[in-house]
Amino acid sequence: MSLWKDFNQGIVKENPVLRLMIGLCPVLAVSNTTMNALGMSAAVAFVLIGSNLVVALIRKVTPDEIRIPIFIIIISTFVTIIDYVMQAYAPVLYQALGVFVPLIVVNCIILGRAEAFAYKNPIFNSVLDGVGMSIGFTLALGSIAVIREILGAGAVLGIQLYDPAIAATIMILPPGAFITIGCIMAFLNKMENKVM
Amino acid sequence: MLKILKLAFTLTVFCVVSAGALAYVFMFTGPKIESNAKLAFERSLKEVLPGAETFNPVGKEGRIFEGVAAGKPVGTAVLVAPRGYSGSIRMLVGVDGDLKVKGIKVLDQRETPGLGTNILKPKFLGQFIGKSSADKLEPKKDVEAITGATISTRGVCEGVRAALTGASEFAKGAK
Repeated sequence: MSLWKDFNQGIVKENPVLRLMIGLCPVLAVSNTTMNALGMSAAVAFVLIGSNLVVALIRKVTPDEIRIPIFIIIISTFVTIIDYVMQAYAPVLYQALGVFVPLIVVNCIILGRAEAFAYKNPIFNSVLDGVGMSIGFTLALGSIAVIREILGAGAVLGIQLYDPAIAATIMILPPGAFITIGCIMAFLNKMENKVM
Repeated sequence: MLKILKLAFTLTVFCVVSAGALAYVFMFTGPKIESNAKLAFERSLKEVLPGAETFNPVGKEGRIFEGVAAGKPVGTAVLVAPRGYSGSIRMLVGVDGDLKVKGIKVLDQRETPGLGTNILKPKFLGQFIGKSSADKLEPKKDVEAITGATISTRGVCEGVRAALTGASEFAKGAK
């Protein structure tokens, strides 16, 4: 039951983007196309699950005073690994994501989960938490990107749906990200109020 | 005192382990990253100067590449980086033996999505094909500017002009 809860809470109840509202910087920046959003989600998932695993693994030998620097070392190691791997095996995606791959280091979702969850919980629960949070992040980022790409570029995953000349370009510019996130949050809140 | 030594030691151990892990990953991704960049650049060279088989870097700054086909020079590809609206636009311009633009490829740019990024469209870049240094290459005169992206348009024009100058200087030097 508790395991299920650890896994589940990141998806909707504590969705990092739409509920906790953390890690918004990359969400705003790379949600202009669905492909970018999926690539970013995969990178974040790798780092989040990896760092949760390692932080939980070493939580008993980590002195309390220097836990944050140690978390940062662990996170940045995973980020650099995924940075190298993407550069080597997915250069096109790497170019599209640009500076936002190295910036995963300062994504507060990852440090937040290390501090609030993995540091206090067993390995298996921490990995489940990482998977759940990653799914939540992917769902949020993916839905924002699909909406923005359809409205702003008239396409999904690069497949043209209608003439981009009549698309609302503002949706793939930064304001479009704020508008989309706001609408999705409002919708979720409304749904929740109904259930309650 | 003992406490701080213990903390420092723990932190050092973590750093060493992480550096080791990174070195290991870099060992097998490093060469691949390098060859990717080289391959991508070579593909771009061939794209802007079709017909050339191999390219030799010439000139001091490594910005001009002479295309060779069947042992004969067929033109040059010039790497230029004019200023765009945000940051520079890195692009390759292929110039044929008659000092006319043969092809253009933008390698790297940070223009405004939806406006400035229209400079990537073949419809826009296509109008430069066949131009030479005899042309003005100015927006609204002989180049159709992109609405809402005048500065980006001007940047590309400037880049093409610089490339033509570079190519003709190289051609003079070669003769």
